[in-house]
Amino acid sequence: MRPILQITSLVALIALTLPSVIFLAGRLELNTVKWIMLLATIVWFVVATGWMWKDNGAEKS
Amino acid sequence: MDTEQQSKQMQAGSEFEREPVPKSARLGFKSFIGMYAGEHCAGTELMIGPLFVAAGVSAYDLIMGLLLGNALAVLSWMFLCAPIATRSRLTLYCHLEKICGRKLVTLYNLANGVMFCFLAGAMVTVSATAVGVWFKFPMPGLNDLYPNSVGWVAAVAVVGGLIAIVAAYGYQTVARFANIAAPWMVLVFLAFGFVGLRQFIDATGFDVASLGDAWQLAKTHIWKGGAPQEGQVKFTFWHITFFAWFCNMAMHVGMSDLSVFRFAKKSWYGVASSTGMYVGHFMAWISASILYAYQLHLDPADTDVLPGPLAYRAAGLAGLLCVIIAGWTTANPTIYRAGLAFQAISPKSSRFKVTLLTGAIATLAGMFPAIAMKLLGFVALYGLILMPMGAVIFVDFWLIRKFGLASSYAELSGKTFNWAAGLAWFVTLATAWVLVKFAGVQIFFVSLPGWFVAAFLYIVLSKFYQNKVRPSTAA
Repeated sequence: MRPILQITSLVALIALTLPSVIFLAGRLELNTVKWIMLLATIVWFVVATGWMWKDNGAEKS
Repeated sequence: MDTEQQSKQMQAGSEFEREPVPKSARLGFKSFIGMYAGEHCAGTELMIGPLFVAAGVSAYDLIMGLLLGNALAVLSWMFLCAPIATRSRLTLYCHLEKICGRKLVTLYNLANGVMFCFLAGAMVTVSATAVGVWFKFPMPGLNDLYPNSVGWVAAVAVVGGLIAIVAAYGYQTVARFANIAAPWMVLVFLAFGFVGLRQFIDATGFDVASLGDAWQLAKTHIWKGGAPQEGQVKFTFWHITFFAWFCNMAMHVGMSDLSVFRFAKKSWYGVASSTGMYVGHFMAWISASILYAYQLHLDPADTDVLPGPLAYRAAGLAGLLCVIIAGWTTANPTIYRAGLAFQAISPKSSRFKVTLLTGAIATLAGMFPAIAMKLLGFVALYGLILMPMGAVIFVDFWLIRKFGLASSYAELSGKTFNWAAGLAWFVTLATAWVLVKFAGVQIFFVSLPGWFVAAFLYIVLSKFYQNKVRPSTAA
């Protein structure tokens, strides 16, 4: 489960950044960039919390 | 335990507070990389970048100044702070207490706590500008010193109040959340830069096909140089260099990060600070400044530095969330640390109540936009006030024995107020004040001569003081 969460987190971070790079290249609308960034943000916080929070807690105890 | 969290705990003084860090608790290089990258990509970066543009900085001065200034900051961590930290393995406060005595450290704590409060206030201000995007109340302008609307006061009160309550109840929870938010935040900052750059290309019709073209765009449209905005100080290459070097002066030259690097296995781990400098204080500042330059490009009369609207224009809701989270996650440890500094003055008071009170002061400070709008000057002042004690620690650790004097003199003599250290601090600050007030030296530049003044004074004054107040063991 943990590797899946980690890969999904990584994909979310790529999805967060890539649209702005494509926008810089002039191949994407700004509104689309904003929506993808928001979606990637939600995915990142949901998924990364799943494994990073647990990590912190486990190591702390 | 996660390193960032651990280091925050360490700085909070909850581990090995009165003893050297044992070998078993020491951390590897990787731990410090993550910690610095996260900690120096904060809400205030969204103010500093735009304020550079408002200060009329040119592209060459900005880029070269940041490259040099940040390198000097990293070297300061590497060669001033980390070598002492990895040899003594003590917190700043423990180290200072041995040199200065309990009462002088209390005074230092008070100064530190007050500066932390104002800094946290600026972070609350940043977060509150995001609320303004939703509720559309009048927000402060670049030269506003006082709150300018009821909506603004209410927004800061709510945001600051929430941050204070959370810091008092669940500091560790927010610290864990901050760890999760850090990589996301860094990339949102990067996206700000890319989006801003494209917006400039579209707005100017500039044809960018190479790096040379991009540099041309930067020089002629983004960081054009020239006169600063009304009420701002003109920034040159040297301003940028010294600002980048000294904006964390309290931490490296001022030795506050002794508390962090005492956990490092090797002193060269100080180089890990470069992640914070070149991510937060290079990329993030540049990105934020592009957003503000674009706003000025669209409407030169719109000089307001408001991170909320700037981020919203570039990245929508994700940008707005970044402003709120960046302000919140950095204000949280700042309020907590300020609370700890105050609590050290009155150890019997409840940590919860002190943190709440500290948060209330920070919130009150955040209502006054003066601190955030004059952040460049405030940050320089913050470093300057705490710097002399860093010089005292440096001299006491490396040099004082070479002059036939004793180090850790307060511990040796049992004095609670080492007047040599105290006077070195006060006279250095007075000298800096005179230089700024009467000699026309700007506050960004006084800290460098100030360090040498403090070091020299500490040696000379110790010569007199240690002769006069002989420790029983050394006599």
